[in-house]
Amino acid sequence: MSTLPAPALLRAEGVGCRFGGVRALSNVNLAVGEGEIFGLIGPNGAGKTTLFNVISGLTRASEGRVLWRGGSLEGLGPERISRCGIARTFQNLRLFDNLSVLDNVRVGMHRVAGAPLAGALLASPAFRRRQAEVQDQAMELLELFDLAALAPQRAADLAYGDRRRLEMARALATGPSLLLLDEPAAGMNPAEKDDLCARIARIRERFALTVLIIEHHVPLMMRLCDRLAVLNFGERIALGSPEEVRHDPRVIEAYLGGRPAGQDP
Amino acid sequence: MDATLPVQMVLGALLGLSVYLPLATGQLSLATPGFYVIGGYVAALLSTGVAALGGGEPSYPLPSLLLEMGLAALLAAAVAVVIGRPVLKLRGIYLAIATIALVEILRVLNLNLPFTGGAVGIFAIPQPFADPWGYLLLSALLLAAVCWLCARLGAMRLGRAQAAVRDDELAAACMGIDTAQVKLTAFVISAVIAALTGVISAHFLNTWNARQGSFDASITTLAFVVFGGSRTWVGPVLGGLVLTALPELLRPVGDLRLIVYGLVILAGPVVFPQGVITPERLQHWARHRPWRRPSPRAGA
Repeated sequence: MSTLPAPALLRAEGVGCRFGGVRALSNVNLAVGEGEIFGLIGPNGAGKTTLFNVISGLTRASEGRVLWRGGSLEGLGPERISRCGIARTFQNLRLFDNLSVLDNVRVGMHRVAGAPLAGALLASPAFRRRQAEVQDQAMELLELFDLAALAPQRAADLAYGDRRRLEMARALATGPSLLLLDEPAAGMNPAEKDDLCARIARIRERFALTVLIIEHHVPLMMRLCDRLAVLNFGERIALGSPEEVRHDPRVIEAYLGGRPAGQDP
Repeated sequence: MDATLPVQMVLGALLGLSVYLPLATGQLSLATPGFYVIGGYVAALLSTGVAALGGGEPSYPLPSLLLEMGLAALLAAAVAVVIGRPVLKLRGIYLAIATIALVEILRVLNLNLPFTGGAVGIFAIPQPFADPWGYLLLSALLLAAVCWLCARLGAMRLGRAQAAVRDDELAAACMGIDTAQVKLTAFVISAVIAALTGVISAHFLNTWNARQGSFDASITTLAFVVFGGSRTWVGPVLGGLVLTALPELLRPVGDLRLIVYGLVILAGPVVFPQGVITPERLQHWARHRPWRRPSPRAGA
């Protein structure tokens, strides 16, 4: 087990989550350091998304707690947690389908896009300037994700890969310090996966992000992540650098079904 | 020309917008007639009960009317905040049922409270205007203001947040939007519009009773939105205007008129599943201006 490279930004302390008789998570401990790309892998149903849901406030932990910069996130709803600087994407894309691509990103900028009511109602010059600024920022984000040309289109009409990228752009629009990516490479071809990999590294630099990422594609994770945690049946069975995790016998047994790691299962 | 029907049509459009605003936030609230009745009773009780407002004068003073509107708006907003907090936790059809219950509770209260006049209600409500044209002006001004608000919402953060909550409430919350607050805001604005409409309506009708806010009224106002279309504010305005006018315009048909009225309401959603007015149709009209050309061609 490796030591932390930096003081923990996010820390899960004994997080457990039960749905009736099903134990989705039990006693999960992990700490994500500032600036890290931290990977979460494990077979389907291992509790990875549940852990994301607990962190982002969509699901309440039955036991334990999540600490953000040392303070507890306990009892905070998703909107409060988003305001803390934690943004996420969803495994099954949840875009605002009836809104334009541009508006999807502008909704992400909700926290910063406020304006005095009177100015907004009267369409005052100050309000219009502010709105133009918001729009410029949104367009900048879209450009970063190669979506600028699609800005006026309805989000529902986009191709799958574009939708995936739009969801990331929308999450970044909230101005997060921690980005939770839930299977961002799902359904992508190898070239798109490479592109995604480079893009994640790039946005981490540009926005000084910490990234927590769930992904099934092991080679991608080995390449991208600074550290990895492995979940199985709701328990964290391994934690460490990709190299350490790759050789952990419990991981090989549980996750890769006995095959040597490094091959795409 | 008699302006009675146009006044009723404009009041209908206002009630349509009152149903539309929560719906634009994804909330099917049928509480509009409840707040409409509250507004009406505020007007009826104050203008007939408080002599200082000038109810005895030949023409009811306009400032008194505006004062009534202000008080009705405040009362409706207060009721909407208190009721909205718990009720807006419900979704879809459950919210609809809870708001129908609210309308029914208010109706029964108004029938039985000692000061609301029982089944007869309150009559001889003083008139601020000598003829319907004054009412038309006042209600048209109110409609214009509400339309302006709806149009501005599209450019505002609140409007985008409403659309986001309507599309995916959970994702909206994850964007840092306080979804409960957005829903409550829409509900309160809706209540205020309905109450203001009620004030005008009570003076216009000269009498007010519990029948004004019934389950029927809930369904009728919802029909305005379903018929006109719920994806842009223009839809409920058109729905309110047309569906209020229709029963009157159909009077020559005699007994058949309610059947024809019913058929129109039925045919609307069948022919226009998203309502008569949709954003796409508005864009299309804005681009092609079919009313300017003698023979418009699609795609020209």
